[in-house]
Amino acid sequence: MIRRRVVALLTLVLAVPILAASADDYPSRPMTIVAPFPPGGMADLHARPIAAAMEKVLKSPVGVVNKTGAAGAVGMQFVAASKPDGYTLLLALSSISIIPEADKLFGRQPAFTADQFEPIALLSADPTILVVRTDSPWKTAREFIEDARKRPGQISYSSSGVYGTLHMAMELLQHPAGIKLRHVPYAGAGPAMTAILGGHVDALASGPAVVIPQIKAGTLRPLAGWGDRRVAALPEVPTFKELGYPEAEFYIWAGLFAPKGTPEPVLARLRESVRAAVNDAEFKGAMDKMQTPIDFKQGEEFKKFFEADARRLAEGVRRVGRIEEKK
Amino acid sequence: MLETLQNLSLGFSVALSPGVLLYAFLGCLVGTLVGVLPGVGPLAGISLLLPATFGLDATRAIVMLAGIYYGAMYGGSTTSILMRIPGEAASVMTCIDGYAMARKGRAGAALAIAAVGSYLAGTVSVVALMFLAPPLAAFALRFGPPEYFALLVLGLLVLAYMSTGSMVKSLAMAAFGLLLGMVGIDQMTGYFRYHYGVVELGDGLGVVPVAVGLFGLSEILITAGQTTRPPVINPRFRELLPSRREWREAGAPIGRGTVLGFVIGIIPGSAHIISSFVSYAVERRLSKRPQEFGKGAVAGVAGPESANNAATSGALVPMLALGVPSGPIPAVMLAAMMVHGVSPGPMLIRQQPELFWGFVASMYVGNLVLLILNLPLVGLFVNLLRIPYHFLYPGILIFSLVGVYAVNNSVTDVWIMLGMALVGWVLRKLDFETAPIVLGLVLAPMMEMSLRQSLAMSDGQYAIFLSRPIAGTLLAVAAVLVAMGLKPLLTRTLDWRARLALAEKGEEL
Repeated sequence: MIRRRVVALLTLVLAVPILAASADDYPSRPMTIVAPFPPGGMADLHARPIAAAMEKVLKSPVGVVNKTGAAGAVGMQFVAASKPDGYTLLLALSSISIIPEADKLFGRQPAFTADQFEPIALLSADPTILVVRTDSPWKTAREFIEDARKRPGQISYSSSGVYGTLHMAMELLQHPAGIKLRHVPYAGAGPAMTAILGGHVDALASGPAVVIPQIKAGTLRPLAGWGDRRVAALPEVPTFKELGYPEAEFYIWAGLFAPKGTPEPVLARLRESVRAAVNDAEFKGAMDKMQTPIDFKQGEEFKKFFEADARRLAEGVRRVGRIEEKK
Repeated sequence: MLETLQNLSLGFSVALSPGVLLYAFLGCLVGTLVGVLPGVGPLAGISLLLPATFGLDATRAIVMLAGIYYGAMYGGSTTSILMRIPGEAASVMTCIDGYAMARKGRAGAALAIAAVGSYLAGTVSVVALMFLAPPLAAFALRFGPPEYFALLVLGLLVLAYMSTGSMVKSLAMAAFGLLLGMVGIDQMTGYFRYHYGVVELGDGLGVVPVAVGLFGLSEILITAGQTTRPPVINPRFRELLPSRREWREAGAPIGRGTVLGFVIGIIPGSAHIISSFVSYAVERRLSKRPQEFGKGAVAGVAGPESANNAATSGALVPMLALGVPSGPIPAVMLAAMMVHGVSPGPMLIRQQPELFWGFVASMYVGNLVLLILNLPLVGLFVNLLRIPYHFLYPGILIFSLVGVYAVNNSVTDVWIMLGMALVGWVLRKLDFETAPIVLGLVLAPMMEMSLRQSLAMSDGQYAIFLSRPIAGTLLAVAAVLVAMGLKPLLTRTLDWRARLALAEKGEEL
């Protein structure tokens, strides 16, 4: 009994300075932000500028490592399993909520779950835009939806992959609009764009940065957006919310996460440094060049956004269900 | 025409400015090194170095990345020829006849032909890119999943020309390759296949670790297992350059490889990898002496090497003209443009003429730089063969391990490579050829995806493959080729394969 107390006491005595040190000196060695997708991808293009800006704020090196594979699962699993000391962070996209849900659907041992992460900050959230070719018959989203209702399963769309972001966006529109479109998955957002330009599918939902150059060149026509307000660069394009489909809300977002169990003082320091970093001129410049507006959210606000988004995605994944052989 | 020349002179004024020239040179140099290092191909090279270009301006960044891309295609042939290790997936075919040439003491000639072929292919296809980019890009977009599938069916017929030995064995190996290609996430449904709880297997077996293991490491094992060690090759200087006969034999294959590579490269998807396979098959089909293939045929090096370099330029056509990626490498380059605030798209040529024409001009310059860089290096590289095997082989092993690991920071890839080395050793002991495995592995995921995408497009109607003109034509060509292959069965005449088999039997008796 006494011995156990002594041990407990000793542990406490020894542990307190360690905890204190980790909060005061943090960061005392280089930090790593894991981007679970390859260089040049959206996660990478957020991770690098925010790492550079945080480095300036923290006055300590912040590196980026691309740990890629299995649609991001490899990198996310890596961060979920790493030590929660604030030195390994994750730059995640909405796949962080989709993958565990898909694992559940297939009865697989999940590679990670969303509650293994502590949200730090949202960096950007861009709604997807529904586009069709300019030579197609649909001039407005209403015409598109009405036509799709008349011909279920006839109008096709390309996506970045099954359960991928572009697939989820369309799924979240189909249910409230009461339409059924034909899904043709591709391996990534780039090939999905190639498919609609080549006339192999009829429609596509993709991010503003990708569709705006094609809209300007007159090859694609925007019909509506998935945001809760219109996209600044496309002021004439309505939202599905305005058209009476408030459930069709979807964002391609990027946020910073730490492994669950990271000590509160470390999290506080991280939050504070990210808040300063997003106001850094170079970070703003980098995001501006990518034509991705910064949408900074932290604390409760980010948590609320993240949970609402995860709920919508989980419902989307479940509604798609397991894709089985038909008949 | 006149306008193009004016634009090109603007381009050269950009490309020859010292800053841009320096980065073109740096890109070519890094690319050559990336290509030489086993396992690290152009995609890995560009991805790893992309962050380093964030500080440059857009033109320099793109020029440097493009330099890495086609530089790696040049460099990739080096280890294939000298050590039978494919530097990247597209040089798998070069391993066969290039290495055979090296064993005959013609390593210098093979390297020189690969370099000159690559240079000619690179330059000619830049001319094509310059004059034809917008119309070609529009044509390339018409290649949807059904057309792609039809093209891959044609690609599969290449098998008939890949090996000298028994057709049954080739087919068995190709089937094995196709099965290996089934590992990973099913892109159409999200199911995991054959992953055994290893998340890394979700992406399937990489072509590079498999090819390095099957070709390079198995060669080391085979050599180590021989009781009499093969003699170390001591090349003499005057043997470094190809003979007049070898140049003559290389000429036509370089020309055909260029056209073939460029056309296949334009098509969206990862078809550029099969350009070298197809070129090899075409050369063998057209050759007067198909029996020389696999034993150091010059055309077997010249054709595929030219094809993979021409495919590089072809792949840039949809990227520059339309702003859409035709494969993973142009996708990274598009990202690099976006980082620099250049929005890629159909307006790029008009909005950013300095960038576009500077880029085109830099490719002329870059190809020349690579030739100047690579020809003197032939002498140096060939001297690597003087190193005794007990030093050379551990060195190759280390470079292969590091290279394959570095691409994805993945130990799983290293295990795949080592496993494939053993498989390759066993198969080669049993007289199976390993090239069809790689072809199968490359084709399986692409074929499956495009077949199922086509059926998703048509709601399950197979007629989609016949009702679309390009797909229908390609499949008709495939049918004709198969029919021609069956002709000897009906007419009882011997084709080259049968004659070859008889000849070899005669030799053995």
